[in-house]
Amino acid sequence: MAYVSMGEAHRRITEFLNRFCDAVSLQDSSTLCRLLSFSSNSASHLSLADALNVFQDASSLIRQSDKFSEYGEILTHLFRSLQSYRVGNLVEAYLAFEKFANAFVQEFRNWESAWALEALYVVCYEVRILAEKADKELTSNGKSPEKLKAAGSLLMKVFGVLAGKGPKRVGALYVTCQLFKTYFKLGTVNLCRSVIRSIETARIFDFEEFPKRDKVTYMYYTGRLEVFNENFPAADTKLSYALQYCNPKKQRNIRMILKYLIPVKLSIGIIPKDELLQKYNLHEYINIVQALRKGDLRLLRHALQEHEDRFLRSGVYLVLEKLELQVYQRLMKKIYIIQKLSDPARAHQLKLEVIAKALRWLEIDMDLDEVECIMTILIYKNLVKGYLAHKSKVVVLSKQDPFPKLNGKPVGS
Amino acid sequence: MNQGGNTQAAAPLDPNSIEKRYGIDGNQGQISSYQYSTGSDGAPWTAQRVDNQVVENGNYSNSNYYHPQPTGPASGNVQEIPNTASFTSSTTSGTANVAQDYSGYTPYQTSSDPHNYSNTGYSNYYSSYQQQPSQSYSQPVGAYQNTGAPYQPISSFQNPGSYAGTASYSGTYYNPADYQTTGGYQSTNYNNQTAGGYPNTNYSNQTPTSNQGNYTDYTSNSYQNYTPDAANTHSSTTATTIPVHYQQNYQQWPDYYSQAEVPCAPGTEKSATSSFSQSFPVPGVTSEMPASNGQPAPSYAQPWRQETNSSQPPSQQPGAAVSASNDAYWMHQTPNQQAHYPVPPQNHYQSPLETKPLYETPFQGHQRPTYPQGMNSQSSIHQAPLGYRQPTQTTPSVDTPRVSKVQIPTNPRIASNLPSGFPKMDKDSSGAGATQTPAYVSVSMPKPKGHTTAMPEPGTFPKSLRGFVERAFARCKDDTEKASCQAALREIITKATDDGSLNTRDWDTEPLSTVLSTHMTNTESSCTLISSFQNKSPIRRPKSRWEPVLEAKPFVKSASTFSSGVKFGGWNHQNEINKKNSESFQKVDAVTGFKPTYSGQNSAKKSFQRPVKRQRFSGGAATAIDDEASSDSDKDLTPYYSSTMALASSAEEKKRRDSRSKRFEKVQGHGRGNDTPKPKNVNVGNLQSRRATALRLSRDFDESGSRAVEDIDWDSLTVKGSCQEIEKRYLRLTSAPDPSTVRPEDVLEKALLMVQDSQKNYLYKCDQLKSIRQDLTVQRIHNHLTAKVYETHARLALEAGDLPEYNQCLSQLKILYAEGIEGCSLEFAAYSLLYITLHSNNNRELLSSMSRLSEEAKKDEAVRHALSVRAAVTSGNYVMFFRLYKTAPNMNSCLMDLYVEKMRYKAVTFMSRSCRPTIPVSYLVQVLGFTGASSESTGEKETDGMEECSQWLKAHGASLIADSNGDMLLDTKASTPSLFMPEPEDAVAHGDRNLDVNDFFTRT
Repeated sequence: MAYVSMGEAHRRITEFLNRFCDAVSLQDSSTLCRLLSFSSNSASHLSLADALNVFQDASSLIRQSDKFSEYGEILTHLFRSLQSYRVGNLVEAYLAFEKFANAFVQEFRNWESAWALEALYVVCYEVRILAEKADKELTSNGKSPEKLKAAGSLLMKVFGVLAGKGPKRVGALYVTCQLFKTYFKLGTVNLCRSVIRSIETARIFDFEEFPKRDKVTYMYYTGRLEVFNENFPAADTKLSYALQYCNPKKQRNIRMILKYLIPVKLSIGIIPKDELLQKYNLHEYINIVQALRKGDLRLLRHALQEHEDRFLRSGVYLVLEKLELQVYQRLMKKIYIIQKLSDPARAHQLKLEVIAKALRWLEIDMDLDEVECIMTILIYKNLVKGYLAHKSKVVVLSKQDPFPKLNGKPVGS
Repeated sequence: MNQGGNTQAAAPLDPNSIEKRYGIDGNQGQISSYQYSTGSDGAPWTAQRVDNQVVENGNYSNSNYYHPQPTGPASGNVQEIPNTASFTSSTTSGTANVAQDYSGYTPYQTSSDPHNYSNTGYSNYYSSYQQQPSQSYSQPVGAYQNTGAPYQPISSFQNPGSYAGTASYSGTYYNPADYQTTGGYQSTNYNNQTAGGYPNTNYSNQTPTSNQGNYTDYTSNSYQNYTPDAANTHSSTTATTIPVHYQQNYQQWPDYYSQAEVPCAPGTEKSATSSFSQSFPVPGVTSEMPASNGQPAPSYAQPWRQETNSSQPPSQQPGAAVSASNDAYWMHQTPNQQAHYPVPPQNHYQSPLETKPLYETPFQGHQRPTYPQGMNSQSSIHQAPLGYRQPTQTTPSVDTPRVSKVQIPTNPRIASNLPSGFPKMDKDSSGAGATQTPAYVSVSMPKPKGHTTAMPEPGTFPKSLRGFVERAFARCKDDTEKASCQAALREIITKATDDGSLNTRDWDTEPLSTVLSTHMTNTESSCTLISSFQNKSPIRRPKSRWEPVLEAKPFVKSASTFSSGVKFGGWNHQNEINKKNSESFQKVDAVTGFKPTYSGQNSAKKSFQRPVKRQRFSGGAATAIDDEASSDSDKDLTPYYSSTMALASSAEEKKRRDSRSKRFEKVQGHGRGNDTPKPKNVNVGNLQSRRATALRLSRDFDESGSRAVEDIDWDSLTVKGSCQEIEKRYLRLTSAPDPSTVRPEDVLEKALLMVQDSQKNYLYKCDQLKSIRQDLTVQRIHNHLTAKVYETHARLALEAGDLPEYNQCLSQLKILYAEGIEGCSLEFAAYSLLYITLHSNNNRELLSSMSRLSEEAKKDEAVRHALSVRAAVTSGNYVMFFRLYKTAPNMNSCLMDLYVEKMRYKAVTFMSRSCRPTIPVSYLVQVLGFTGASSESTGEKETDGMEECSQWLKAHGASLIADSNGDMLLDTKASTPSLFMPEPEDAVAHGDRNLDVNDFFTRT
């Protein structure tokens, strides 16, 4: 840490205080944003932090001036947080920042217009990021990470401030998205429900009036929630919306959306082009798509096993696993086509033996009972039209459209 | 609105006034009552005393006021009182405000200082009040003022303090918080000083509203008046009445503040001042007043009528008109009041409604209830009382908004006081007096409730004890004292809890000396307070008469005068019936006696609810009834209490309370310095402070409790068991564990072995294991033995299908495994997986637990099995499922058991849909795992499986046919539409729907 003289420290702190107060009095949101976003590690923040560590009694400086003391609570905690942040004590930094955020939100509540929304966004973002960092520190010290949870309740409070009527409402979705990120990280996504309801049931504010950025994020997260619930049509709608409006330059975001959208699309019978997977580097799906095209159950299972961790973590494992039935359907269709070539008259009768043999070629060992069970399920789920003659162990296919396509509808509907 | 507010305020005020009256009666007693009323706001009250000028202090000041009034206030007070009356009149416009204001005012009134303040502040207040009245109550105001003026003269003599209260009114107006505090205090003050005036003004302006407000006020007024009658009837009564006016004014003031008192304000102020002057003139009316003192009621009654008639005029010439109106009110009170009441109530109601929104509804609700009750009780006696009740209701609403924070507590007290006062009045008063008394009773009732409830309500321990605690705290001058006091209180309470006297002991009478030797003066126990109150009550009753006079004068203090007027009116009716002020006074005295009790009770909340009941009771009987009523009211109040407590817990409230408490301290100092009466005031303050402190205390306890959890040195508290018994029944601990009944680790190990080898049933084993777990927990044993115990219990629970117990064990095991204790983590990981797969049906949970499995775990047989089961279940592969079922390791099959029914049903559904034409049952037996079920021999197995399967199929609506060989076949086509699940076992296998996340979502 470079040596900072007392005078220099005093100057830096006063300058910051002045800029802060000017920004507030001029309602200069962008300056305020810069002043508050200290996870950016900007040079000015670092030098201010150094100054604060030299000039320990910054709070008296705040108190001395009426101008500063008006925001004394905000500034004091902000300084304390910055100080702790600078010396690497992230838990302390978070605690101070949380106090700062509370004071700031209190002040924000008193501002009639929503000029400081952007600054509030910064605060929300910082509090979440800082909480995550603090939790990391806590975990490494063997303590239970709980700061993100605290940040979640703080964000919820902010949401309460914004969720009402008035010009501030437009900021509610940003906070909602921060809450989503928090809850998804914490694994408490059920807490999203209340926020979603308040967003989606509010008639006073049209969803389309929210900023596009927030809408995309919101749709992404709610789409993911629908994936968890295996509500594929809804997930498709939401994720497609997110994809449609996502900034095309944000490749990473598009990839994140596609990671969920592709399994959803596959589940409703829509198979992406390989170029798409290549373009967005979604290699884990390539084999799965191949398996679906070919009816190659083995390939599907291998692909699932290969990327099991990834799929489990992202939460699409179970969705992909359910593609098995479509692979069976494809396999049967292939058998049916082959049979048709050799013996068109009896092509609609698929012997279970034949299917079992085909599976054996795929190195999947199944006895007739199990094959029959699979066939029962396929017919039941309407992936195959026809019936199973139990006595003769034959699947009798309908002569019309024996393998109906899903056409955008989920399996079993 | 204002009127409504006034009524509410009046109700609260009444208690205060009652307290004041009490104070007047027995200065100490009053003081104590004030303190009680302050209860939650005790500190504020004290502050109020100090600040008598200030609203907050108002309460305290009230006590002080009372003292001053009682001591030598009369002459000095008189002037002030008029002012207050005028103020009250103005306040009448916003009864609710008045109530709040009253609190503030009351302080003023109570404190002798207030007089000075009140004069200045009152003038201001008056002006403001007048303005208010002029707005909504312009006519009424006039009447009020008039009434107030006359009344005030009377009251003023007695209640200079009330004037001081007016000063506090100004403060109160400014300070909502003060209003709250004042609420209780105000009521007392009002009752004593303004209350009377207010009621009068209210009455005159809006007989109904005023009646409402007046009722409470009346009660207070009546109390005050009565007390004065009994003791120095004239002087005391006037004082009491004045307080009443004040209360109303207070209430009105708050309302004004909160709502739009402005319209009236400008003109009103002038009018108020004028009214003051008028009111003083009214004192000319006072001539009547004096009479009223002697025979105040009659005189008033005439003014009242006039007022009602000239309700509008009063606004113009508040003083005279009011006085006249006051007289009319008084005169009418019985007759006119009834008529007026009906109408005014409407007005009041409307206004209250409006104001209510502004104000805190909760309070309103509370106040209203009490008021209504009070009203009813009164009404039962007189129609006017009914009208009062209505007004009171409305006022409560008004008050409630403002009061909501602090006021609620005070209001309840006031209300309670009022009701109690009424009952007393009834009792004391003869037949005619009884009729009048009702109103008084209603007012006084609250007080009785306070006292009585506190005393009699053992069950309500919280209240009385709280009051006691508050008292104790109220006496604390500084933090050190408080700290020591807190410690002492804890000791006392613990002792009481231990010996079971917590609920039986009379905390109200419990001498505080035990708590604070330093605060001996303060320590005047509630009993002394009560007695003092009772003593005072007579005086106060006289004041009630005075109040009417004040009411006439009220113009300036219209609200207070009005209220008093109303009360007077009611009283006057009574009086008229009696046609003897003395009688009415006596009644009032009785009422006041009750009031003292209320004030003593501290629990304004209780008093709120109580007032109604008490009023009714009072209507029926005398003090004894009051006692009963008080207990009842206590019960009723409990909800209010809780609500108030909740309010108290809010941050704002906290702040206010803190500031109040500081004020209170100051006030206390003043009070002591002031006069002998102060003792009573001190008591009042104590009462109030008790409440406040009780609230704070409870909070402190909570905080300390939470703090304790973090700070406790658990190691030093850990029990080391010494019990050698191996067998021990489980009993949920309700206190700290006794080492002699706790088994040490080695014995627990034996106990575990014993359970494992036991041949007894699951219930026995479960009981034993729970006791082992308990012993482990209290000794904080976290090791392999702990894991073993939980594992054993979990397995047994699984075996028995006791999923709740299993889940408990599993959650503990997860913690233990996370601590690195080996145990059979993989086995239980498999169980956990199965459980999630089969029972919670939560994809996210499943995914997360799957992703947590280590590579090593995935190789474990049990875990692999569980994963296969999961795959089979998610794909619906019933063949695979039942194969896995047969080969399940450990207890996996136990968990699968719970899913078998579902899986079978699924399978049969699939097959019925997909297979044609038939499926032999023997195939189902084989595929769906019916075979292995029962007996040993292979042949029997087969048939048993067939039998079981057929039964099962039939039970699920399948259609079975026999083929030519006699083999049973499942007719799939016929079965498809008829299949059903006999019992929706699949709904939630674990039996707790709350655990179904989707259900949870849909419900939330």
